[in-house]
Amino acid sequence: MAGLAAVNIKKEKIDEPRPSVSTVNDDGRSEAEIEARMLELLHQFPKGISNQILDTDMPTVDKQIKVTILNKLMSKEKVSMFKAAGTQELFWCLKSHPTSRIKGADNEERVVLGLIEEAGNKGIWTKDIRIKSSLSQATLNKVLKALEGKKVIKSVSSVSAAKKKVYMLFNLQPDRSITGGSWYSDNEFESELVDLLNHQCYRMLLQKAEVAKQKQNDGPFTVRNSSFLSSKEICQVISDLKIVKFNLTVEDIETILDTLVFEGKVEKSTTSDGNCDGQVKTYRTVEKPVSSASIVRMPCGVCPVMKKCGNVGAIQPKDCNYYGEWDD
Amino acid sequence: MSSYVLSPFNQTCYQLINKYFGEIVGEVAKFLLRRRYGTLFNIKTGTGMSLWDVKRALAVLIHQNLVEFQANEQNPNIVDYSIIYHNAHCLLRYAKYLYTIKRIFGSSEEVLIEILLKIGQASASDLIFQSANKLNEAIDDVKVINPSDLYQSFQRLATENFIIRCPKIVKSNAFVEKVPKLLEFEDEEKFIVPQLEMEPIAKLLREKATQIGEHSDSEIIWRVNHQRFDVELRNVILVNAAARRVDEKAGHLYHLILKLWREANPAEARASKGVSHILIKDAVRKNDGRSPMLMEHFDQYLRVLCEDSTGLISRTGDSRGGQFAVNYADVFENLACAILDSVVLERFGTKALRIFKLTRMQKFIDQDHMQKLAMVSPKDAKTLSYKLMENNFLKIKELKKGTSNVGPVKSFNLFHVNLPEVVRGVLHSSYKCLSNAMERQTHDLTINKRLLERHADFEKTLEQLRGEDAPDNAIAEFSQSMTVADKELVAKILKLSDNLTLAQSQADETILILESYLKFHSMPMPMFYSMP
Repeated sequence: MAGLAAVNIKKEKIDEPRPSVSTVNDDGRSEAEIEARMLELLHQFPKGISNQILDTDMPTVDKQIKVTILNKLMSKEKVSMFKAAGTQELFWCLKSHPTSRIKGADNEERVVLGLIEEAGNKGIWTKDIRIKSSLSQATLNKVLKALEGKKVIKSVSSVSAAKKKVYMLFNLQPDRSITGGSWYSDNEFESELVDLLNHQCYRMLLQKAEVAKQKQNDGPFTVRNSSFLSSKEICQVISDLKIVKFNLTVEDIETILDTLVFEGKVEKSTTSDGNCDGQVKTYRTVEKPVSSASIVRMPCGVCPVMKKCGNVGAIQPKDCNYYGEWDD
Repeated sequence: MSSYVLSPFNQTCYQLINKYFGEIVGEVAKFLLRRRYGTLFNIKTGTGMSLWDVKRALAVLIHQNLVEFQANEQNPNIVDYSIIYHNAHCLLRYAKYLYTIKRIFGSSEEVLIEILLKIGQASASDLIFQSANKLNEAIDDVKVINPSDLYQSFQRLATENFIIRCPKIVKSNAFVEKVPKLLEFEDEEKFIVPQLEMEPIAKLLREKATQIGEHSDSEIIWRVNHQRFDVELRNVILVNAAARRVDEKAGHLYHLILKLWREANPAEARASKGVSHILIKDAVRKNDGRSPMLMEHFDQYLRVLCEDSTGLISRTGDSRGGQFAVNYADVFENLACAILDSVVLERFGTKALRIFKLTRMQKFIDQDHMQKLAMVSPKDAKTLSYKLMENNFLKIKELKKGTSNVGPVKSFNLFHVNLPEVVRGVLHSSYKCLSNAMERQTHDLTINKRLLERHADFEKTLEQLRGEDAPDNAIAEFSQSMTVADKELVAKILKLSDNLTLAQSQADETILILESYLKFHSMPMPMFYSMP
């Protein structure tokens, strides 16, 4: 048997230990000073600094140090990191958000708060926060409760799904798509208000048409043109009546007037206004070309059991109750 | 007797024929309405009546222009009989015809048309003779009606195309055919009145004859021209629409323009040819006596009617001061839509009307948009749109969204309105309304026949007593022979019957509009608007 070959234990070349991150650096700047310089740069370039800029400014500083300092700044929520869209380059910019003002907030809260802030006035749903922050349900709930208690965020329920709650910053106004606009209050559609405004607008237009009819001797053209009312005028009058608590915009009134168009009572036309450029929408009442479908004047036209009516069976015109009660 | 259920349209025709011509004719008509074509033997076995009855019934129907015949394709020795559906439906409109004629012409023309409607087909002399007799009876005067006046009335009716010649029998000497062929006249010849001598007729009238006997033009037979009356009834609807949209004078103007259009376009087409501004102005000037203000603001009225969204007049050219025409398809589409809107409003409510109209205007729309534009609460929007769908006013079109294979495939659900289909649905229910009204009326009158007869007798004797100046207590005693309850019941029955008659003629108006829409909608588009 051959003798055990001497196993050469190669001694691994032990690398020279890296110099520990000491506060002293090559050109003698302390870490704090580098940090301060970085903050200065960040202020100088509010749009963000990239690695290139850092290199040109502090060529001698070790990359590792720069990275550590940047990480520290990010954890302090003073700086946020982005990726440039075109070049896929990383750059950092100063965060001017008030979150940095929150003291004693732990990291989780800050992350959640950051996400809520990003959502702006549309708010963000709990599930979305959970996905983006990868926190567990329990932790998330704790964080949200804490933040709500501090009155930093609030929850708003959306019109489209009554059970769904979105979170947004406390002092923000929720967006129109959540509250549904002027016609929704407490997430319910205010049909009565719409009906009331509907009637009001129609009455106004009727009155105008009546007045216009007096001018019959001037010809039909005058009668027709003077029965028009522009949406601005209607908005003015209705706002003056102070029926609604909030400010009625011209668009709101136009949506109401459009419903009157859809009922066939009112006709819309756009004319160009002399004063301002652009189209002005004007409205006037019109008569329908046919007064009403004659079949609806008899019981059969509006009969709810028309499909079952016939010559045999329980429902026959011979002993129809509706005919019996018909009193034209 | 057969017991099957007819479609509403056929049911109405059957009821009308039954009402005017009796049961036997009604049964034959019912068979033909359902079967479309029938030979003599088919009808006999189908209805179970005797051959003699069937033959007489067919003779009546043919004479009344309700049934036409032609040789069977397979066996030219056998005749196929078929119902003329349109004419059967027009039975409903006879009262309106008389009213129209009276409005346009006068009472002598009205009598002519009345007799012609009653007989079905008649030669000119026969018609004049019978009308003269009727007028004589009515007036009860010693002086005899001059038949030349009636002859002139007859000519007037022919020039205005209200009466038309029936097709003549082709006489081929070479080959005697079993089934006579009928030849339609050329368009111009259809309305030419033969020269007639009124003297023989006058002589017969003086002799108080009841029948005209042999006369020179017994081969030239006339009947009522239903198409012309249809045009007239349609024009009434259009003039009313114009009057409602603008005002009365616009209605007058539109009436004049309609006349001009009819003169320019003898055939019915989807859109009429243009009529020049000058022509219209002349017509208005001639008619100035009726509405002086029309002349004054003529241009304005014309412009307002043109710009009206119903499409009553449209400007098609600029020559000779402007060419004005009408596109019947557009106008009747708007009128039909107005009818549909009214039906939706009455059956389902204002909110449903908003949804229906906005879907129609937007062509395709999804649920969210619909709810926003119609300003109804989301729950209402859903309920109403599904209710409209259930009754075939709205339809859904599905569009698949995206091609992702992950998860359920999302799709857009768009609502839209298929106008011809909806119109057909409402037309179907209009026929049903009509037939129901007629059935209820006949039922009521038959069930209460004895009561009504008693009431009629009672009224007659009461009149007699009053006429004879009977003492008051006798009258009072007699009037108690019929109880108050009975009198109330009779009043109620008569009132319902009147309402039903009115309802029937109004339902007919709806039917006319919807049918006109479908008719013009299916006509081919004109190649070009021709300029004179």
